[in-house]
Amino acid sequence: MRRLTAGILLVLALLAGACPARADKATSFTYTLNEKGRHVRTQDAYLPDKTITTLGLAKPSDLFFAADGSLYIADSGNKRVIIYDPETGEVKREIRHQEFSAPTGIFVTEAGRLYVADPAARRVFLFDGEGALVRAYEKPDSPAFNDIRYEPMKVASDAAGNLYIVGEGVYHGVIQLAGSGEFLGYFTVNRTRLTLTQAIQRLLFNREQLSKLVETVPTTFSNVFVDRAGIVYTTTMSTGFNPVKKHRTDGGNMFTSPVIGPEALSDVWVDAQGLIYTCDQTGYLQVYSAMGELIFYFGSSVVNLDVAGLYSRLPALAVDHRGQIWTLDMDKGYLQSFMPTDYARTVYSALGLYEKGRYQESLSAWQEVLRLNQMSVLAHNGIAKAYFHHEDYGKAMEHFRVAGNRPFYSEAFWEVRNAHIQRWLPWAAAGLAALAAARRGLGRLRKKRGAMPPGARIAARLRKVPLICDLSLALEAPRHPVDRFYEVRRKRRGSVLGASILYAVYFVIFMAFQTKKGFIYQFVQVEDMDIKALVAGYFLMIGLFILCNYLVTSINDGDGDLAQCYMIPAYSLAPLMLAFCMVVLLSYALTYGESFLLSIILLSGAVWTLVTLFLALMHVHDYTVKETIRCLVLTVVFMMIFFIMALIVMVMGEKLAEFLRTVYEEVMRNVYGS
Amino acid sequence: MYTAAKRILTLLLCALCCLPAAAAREEAFVPTVRHTKPAPPQVHITEQDLSAYTLLYETSDAEYYWREDRDIIAVLDKANGYVWKTGADIGFPKQVQSRVKEAESAEEKLRLAEPLEKSMNSTYIGVANSLITAEYRDGKTFYAGSAAEKGVDSLLSAIPGEPGRFLLSVDFLELQLRVEVEVACLKKGLRYDIKADGISGPGKSKLTAIWITPFLGASGGEAAYFDPDTGDYGEPRPKYAPPGYAMVPDGSGALIRFQDNQVPFVEYVGDVYGQDPAIRTYYASAASDAVPLRNPLMPVFGIAHGDRQAAFVAYAEEGAEYMSVVMRPEENLRLKYNFCYPRFEYNVEYYKVYNRKGSGYFTMTDEAFRYDVRMVYLFLHGDGSDGSPAADYTGMAQAYRRHLIEEGVLREAQPASPDIPVRLDFILSDMKKSILGHEQVVVTNARQVGEILQQVRDSGVSNITGSLTGWQAGAETLARPDSFRFHRAIGSEGEIARLFREQAAQGATLSLAREYTLLNSRMTSYTNVAAKHINTWYLLHDKSWVFPSAPISEFSYARPDVAASWVREIARRAAPFSTALTVSGITGTLTSSYDRNGVSLTLPDGIRAVQDALSQAGQQLELDLVAPNLYLWQTVHRFLNAPVGGSRHVFETDEVPFLQMVLCGSMEVYGPYCNFSFYTREDVLRMIDYHLYPAFILSYGPSHLLADTLSGDLYSTQYEQYRQLIPEIYGQVNAVLRGVGGYKWVSRFVPQAGLVVNRYEKDGQKALILVNYTPSALSFEGQTVGPQSALCVKEAPRP
Repeated sequence: MRRLTAGILLVLALLAGACPARADKATSFTYTLNEKGRHVRTQDAYLPDKTITTLGLAKPSDLFFAADGSLYIADSGNKRVIIYDPETGEVKREIRHQEFSAPTGIFVTEAGRLYVADPAARRVFLFDGEGALVRAYEKPDSPAFNDIRYEPMKVASDAAGNLYIVGEGVYHGVIQLAGSGEFLGYFTVNRTRLTLTQAIQRLLFNREQLSKLVETVPTTFSNVFVDRAGIVYTTTMSTGFNPVKKHRTDGGNMFTSPVIGPEALSDVWVDAQGLIYTCDQTGYLQVYSAMGELIFYFGSSVVNLDVAGLYSRLPALAVDHRGQIWTLDMDKGYLQSFMPTDYARTVYSALGLYEKGRYQESLSAWQEVLRLNQMSVLAHNGIAKAYFHHEDYGKAMEHFRVAGNRPFYSEAFWEVRNAHIQRWLPWAAAGLAALAAARRGLGRLRKKRGAMPPGARIAARLRKVPLICDLSLALEAPRHPVDRFYEVRRKRRGSVLGASILYAVYFVIFMAFQTKKGFIYQFVQVEDMDIKALVAGYFLMIGLFILCNYLVTSINDGDGDLAQCYMIPAYSLAPLMLAFCMVVLLSYALTYGESFLLSIILLSGAVWTLVTLFLALMHVHDYTVKETIRCLVLTVVFMMIFFIMALIVMVMGEKLAEFLRTVYEEVMRNVYGS
Repeated sequence: MYTAAKRILTLLLCALCCLPAAAAREEAFVPTVRHTKPAPPQVHITEQDLSAYTLLYETSDAEYYWREDRDIIAVLDKANGYVWKTGADIGFPKQVQSRVKEAESAEEKLRLAEPLEKSMNSTYIGVANSLITAEYRDGKTFYAGSAAEKGVDSLLSAIPGEPGRFLLSVDFLELQLRVEVEVACLKKGLRYDIKADGISGPGKSKLTAIWITPFLGASGGEAAYFDPDTGDYGEPRPKYAPPGYAMVPDGSGALIRFQDNQVPFVEYVGDVYGQDPAIRTYYASAASDAVPLRNPLMPVFGIAHGDRQAAFVAYAEEGAEYMSVVMRPEENLRLKYNFCYPRFEYNVEYYKVYNRKGSGYFTMTDEAFRYDVRMVYLFLHGDGSDGSPAADYTGMAQAYRRHLIEEGVLREAQPASPDIPVRLDFILSDMKKSILGHEQVVVTNARQVGEILQQVRDSGVSNITGSLTGWQAGAETLARPDSFRFHRAIGSEGEIARLFREQAAQGATLSLAREYTLLNSRMTSYTNVAAKHINTWYLLHDKSWVFPSAPISEFSYARPDVAASWVREIARRAAPFSTALTVSGITGTLTSSYDRNGVSLTLPDGIRAVQDALSQAGQQLELDLVAPNLYLWQTVHRFLNAPVGGSRHVFETDEVPFLQMVLCGSMEVYGPYCNFSFYTREDVLRMIDYHLYPAFILSYGPSHLLADTLSGDLYSTQYEQYRQLIPEIYGQVNAVLRGVGGYKWVSRFVPQAGLVVNRYEKDGQKALILVNYTPSALSFEGQTVGPQSALCVKEAPRP
């Protein structure tokens, strides 16, 4: 009997159905990133073009376009390298050598010299333009390389003739050899990334225990490429974090922002514009900008189907001078090309224009992209940046907002705000001065006549209403905590009803704080929030605090009763809630650089609330400072215990509910058949 | 006898030597442009030795012969002498060698020495010869042909009193299964009937499928030939393989040319009307990154040999919902043949889940599906100059269309306007998450629809049809499918009614659109509403990968009978507003439903329910159906989102407008939305070539507002972006297609790569539409077509 989880039961819906809104040329959907960094569908960027099944390839593993437009194919299974002419569809030449075992990596220099990496032969071969062997690079005899396996899997070379070799199972880095074969060292190395468990183990284990653990080694490189400018690019397997890197001459990574990609990257190519093309073994192709931003990806893996553009295993890609991507299917032995669509070309053109600083031209190109995809973050960003350079900050803000680009939105907003301030500041200053003068005049007049300020009488009357008096305590208590909570202790002020209303008001403020901040500071959108968790979290935290505090104070001879325990947080939270309100309001007026103001407000509110709470507990329960600290600590501990218990109960409850549901369903199925 | 055999052998050898390996590679690659390839080379029609056959029946157009030992019917087309054999006509090597060995004289040896097939084992030789093949599972899958070497008895007998009709009884002894096939010889064709009652025996529960004449029209093979000089068989070599192709109903139609492939391809399997989700292996499925394969909308396929010389078209009249069209390109299963056949499914293996954890096992249903099969094969000849359908895919389309008209499925219809129509669908709203539940995001309201339509009219486009999607409170995502409550931000009932009234007065046909198949649990309870998998679990379709921010990600399928009742209700409520109704989902998705007692709703039940509901709705409204299956064509007024091309299997060499040729002249057929990767110059040419009308989906507001809804894949809909493109594309397509309004689409051919010629006729007047896909000007019969453009040329009517 086989057991499969429901997750495993999910099968690809390749045979399922409707796809209402698209044309029929592509065989896979193209994705890009939305403003939240999530993958979303976009117009087709590439269409499968030629599928070449007639070359008799066996386990082909690498591709390379030479400067003359010839496509070199490492046909590993047949121990040869094929030189194929994509224009005529003819095989121009085959390069075979008696020492070839399974060539898996190739690189062709501008001068037409061919490097072939063969891990089984443990050599890198160098052939001249006529296909004659120039030399074979064997394992370097440097002492530093003695214990290292030398099974060259992939190879690249720079203009100086230095070799960059990715060796099978070599985690030390990319092997760098001089043209003479001398070992120069490791050009670059991947950093070891520890999991949380490993980090804790490192922290807690002694040397003996650590020695028993499996050694943590860096992830190995899967491929290496050198572009026309001599910049080295690498891909790394088994990591989705920076799987593709663009290296400085010292081996460091030029990408400042992390590149997120698939975990099985197998090849990389860079074209004349600096666009970076990668592919991963599972059948996906990605295109990144020169700065490492994902432009789009497409492709898919497939089992038991021969559909153009879908792969069983994708080991390599290369891009020709027309921008067509050529790929290999290793298992099937196909050569598959992709043609860029008008959409992709327009995106590349816009990117190129922008990078060259031709903002006006890039604007129209981006607008064309936007016509084809109104959700394109790239286009919105590009248009916004073009507007920004034209000092049209209002429009720039509009597009930065759609693109989710907060830092740039903030900059544009600063400009807009600055303009407003400059325009309105004299008027505002004059208005304020006039207001102050009027107030002063009115004050003097009232003083002369002995009249009360307007509204004071109404306020005084309102304060006599018990409920309003209880509610106003929330504002008074933080200012005079000792006096006000003494009144609460004496039951002169405060009520359960008043506290309940305050909790309701706080809930509204809390939700507003979570969901209604200005664009710059509202990092998570409502549709991405777990609203239920927020609501439950709010009431659970307050409820748990009240309950635990009551239990702790009961066993610690606190004077307060349950009603007072219920009221204490309500009358202490006002500063924090006030801070929330201020943050929400100010988030519409402040830029990124001014976020410290919001932090200060939040911190002040939190500290003020804590102090108020502390004093409230102390005075209501008639505790000393030490007792109050103990009470607070115990309350937190109790809350944690309750929380853990609640989790256990919930898990067990779920299991029980599932068991009962299963029994019920089985019974229903057996009795009624449905 | 010896002389005759020698003559045939010589003829065959000559053919082999003279032909440039007809099945050899034509190109070094399969190009993207699969719709502009010239016809295949000519097939050599040679005299066939039918001495091992007995004459069964003869009509004015054909002679029918029977070979008892191999269960093969040979059909001699009197028009051109071409012989079609229902089987490969191959001897079992052991039997042939034994006969040769026992022969007494050299002449006798030569007469008996049939070529020895080298690419097949005896099981497959049995299958290749057989009239029917049983596919069954007994731990693993087995095949048994009616003419298997052993273990099967078959007998053909005439049905008394019914000339030209015969009964083939096949006993699969090991399987303990008996299948009775009624064979009818038509004027120039064959018909096979396999009744549900005609399948009997304990082996019925193991039977998974029946294949009918899998090797009819097959091409290829590798055999060793007897050498009279040495008295032995020589080295195997390729047999003469007739050039040609199989036409499969993949999307709009695809040709798979017979080729000598270098790699073992996986076969093409087209599940007619799509695979029933209720009998898939698993009850759950998920949206994937790969574009779904196109489902055949009609149960038809065909094979052509040569360039308009000989062909057949085959279609199911009964049992289509259980049918698949299977095409096995050469090297599939390592066989050296290209062959294509219909497969009728009787049982499936599925994953039986018995608890919520998903534990389960693979099993089959206790009872086979019960239905009747009727397959008809019509043989075609020539180029169509004698008035009969030509022996190519266009002739197949004509013959099939003729059949559908005779059956009342299609009817001849004339266009209401000389200008072609344009389809403008509007997305009005959809749901996204909000603080308190959900929020309806409205991107277009009724007033804005009116404004947009007026602007389109002002740009010179007058013949407009369209629909409104997301008009309900709760939109498509949360409104129950039969809910008829307009969302107030879109417009009141009065405003909507006024919109429809005003548009109708100006000649535009607007309708309310709704998808009726995919359900979610927020929309309605599943009880007695959603279809259940054969393992009795509700079907599940997960879209979370495509719509990560959408409010709902898990869906199920409505039972067709329930969905049909919803259509009825909506049609009743919509009738006072509009003259049309747009229906999707239910039109192209067919599902059965199961409970503990087995099937609770069969596919034929589902078809009937949907047909009845749409027929009823069609009495009061014009029906605009999204990619409907054949069983709904009778009710269709407008065919929306017609597929263009196939699923792009690597071995598909040509994409052809077979579907459009069948439908042309009966209904308006619209292409996919131009918004989504269907807007380039080549796409416009394809629209003209495929006789499709342009379609757009529009909104007033920007589509990024819908990003967090289930309409998040409509990434470009704002009218402002399409203000110029709509009249531009419409103008280009209309300028050519208006010239053939009301004409019959007679043929389509490719005189040279990149140039397509479509012939139309009306009352003796002929018109040509020339489509040039290449970047240089091309000429045909004195007419020059500019680069990447199309031209309509009319010939004067004959006196």
